Amino acid sequence: MITNATTSNIHMDKKQLKALMRRSDRPGLKYLISWVALLVVTGIPVMLSVGTWWFIPAILLYSGCFAVSAYALSHECAHGTAFRTRWLNEAVFWVTSLLYYEEPLHRRYSHASHHTHTWIEGEDNQMPYAPIPLTFAGWVEEILGLGLYWHQTKMFVLHSLGIFSDNVKRVTPESELPRMQRNTQICVAIYVGLAAVSIWAGWMWPVYLIVLPRVLGGPIMNAFILMQHVEMAENQPNIVQSTRSFRTNWFFQFLYFNMNHHIEHHLYPTVPFHALPKLSAKLGDQLPDPDPGFLSTHWEVLKITIRRSLGRNDRSRKIRQAFSDDLTGADHDRSMA
Amino acid sequence: MTAQWHDACATDDVDDEDLITLKLADQVVAIYNTPEGFFATAGMCTHEDESLDGGLVMDGVIECPLHQGRFCVRTGKALSAPAVENLVTYELQVRDGRVWVRV
Repeated sequence: MITNATTSNIHMDKKQLKALMRRSDRPGLKYLISWVALLVVTGIPVMLSVGTWWFIPAILLYSGCFAVSAYALSHECAHGTAFRTRWLNEAVFWVTSLLYYEEPLHRRYSHASHHTHTWIEGEDNQMPYAPIPLTFAGWVEEILGLGLYWHQTKMFVLHSLGIFSDNVKRVTPESELPRMQRNTQICVAIYVGLAAVSIWAGWMWPVYLIVLPRVLGGPIMNAFILMQHVEMAENQPNIVQSTRSFRTNWFFQFLYFNMNHHIEHHLYPTVPFHALPKLSAKLGDQLPDPDPGFLSTHWEVLKITIRRSLGRNDRSRKIRQAFSDDLTGADHDRSMA
Repeated sequence: MTAQWHDACATDDVDDEDLITLKLADQVVAIYNTPEGFFATAGMCTHEDESLDGGLVMDGVIECPLHQGRFCVRTGKALSAPAVENLVTYELQVRDGRVWVRV
C-alpha cells in the first residue's frame, strides 16, 4: 500500500508546488551556522562547569539543542533537501547521521520505506518498537530509546560483517549492500578511532559534547519523533489520518527544522524544511487543524497511555486520535524515524 | 515492436526547468525542458514506480517526488540512493515548435 498526496486526496497547483520545491543553500547554511553557534554558546558552560552542580542544567540544555537538531538535520539531508549543493548535503548528512547514531545509507533506505508505506504494519521500517496502541510502559520504552540503541548497535556490528536481515534486504537493493557494509565500517572506524584518540590524549570533550548529550538529549529527541504518528491510524493510505502536525514555538521549530509540519512533509517530501510553513498555508483547509503545542500535545499522549494502562477511557478531546480499531499493533523488526 | 517517432507536445507545453509526463505507445514518457535543451526518459521512477511528473528538475537532474532519488535527464543514469537502476532514455527532436519523441 502506497501512501502519498494522491492517496490522501490532497491536491495542489503544480506551479505553486514546484516553486516551493526549489532548492537553495542559503536557508540550510543559515540554519547550520545558527545551530553550530547555539552549540558553542550552550557548550561553553558545559565545559566550564564540569565538577560543579551547574554542570547538570548546562548539559541538559546543551543536550536538547544537540540531539533534536542532529536528528532533524540528518533527516532533512536524507531527503537531499537541506542544501542545493549536493556534496554539502551529503557531507552534513554523514556528520549528523554519525551524531544521531545511524549509518547514512541505511538511514536513507529505511526512511524511504517509511515514506512509501507510512504507518503500514509490516511495511513501514520506522515504526515504534513498543506494541501499538502504546501503553505507559511502551511510552517509557520509546522515550528512553533503548530499542533504538540496541537496534542501531546491532546494525553497526552485523552490517560491518556484511550480515543483513531480511528486513534490511527488503528495503535495500542488493547492489547497494556492499556500499552499506563499507559505509558501516567507516562509521565504526570513526567511532572507535575517536574513542581511542580520546583515551590516548586524555580528552573528555567527546564525552561531554557528543556522547552524554546524545544519551541525555535522546528522550527529548524521541519525544519529538514519537509525536509524528503516535495515536494516529495505521494500515490505511491517507497520510492525513496517519500523521500529525502540531503547533509549537519558534525555538522548537528551529531545533526541529519545521518538522512540526509533519503531514505537509509526508505529502510533499521534496519541499525543503524552510518552505514547509508556506506549504502549510497554501494547503489551507485541506489539512486538519494542527494539534496544540509540543508540550501540551505530548502531555495528552502521556495521559492517554497512562489511562490505557489502567484500563480507563483512552480517548482525548484535545488532540487528533485514531479509534482503537485503527491501532492494530505490530512486532516486526523496526527502527524509529 | 519498432520504435516510431511521435508528435508529443509543443515546446511551450513544458515550462523552463520542468517536465511533463504523457503516454506514448503505451509507455509513460517524461519530457524535460532544461537550459541544455529538451530530453526524454521513462516517466516512472525505477525505485518505487512513482510518476516523475511531480518531481524537481534542477541542473539537468530529475528528482523523484517520493524519495528524492535522482537521475540525469540526458543519460537516464541513476545518481543517488534510493535510485540505483537507470531510466530508459528516448531520442528526441524539436521541429517547428513541436517536440518529437522516438518510442
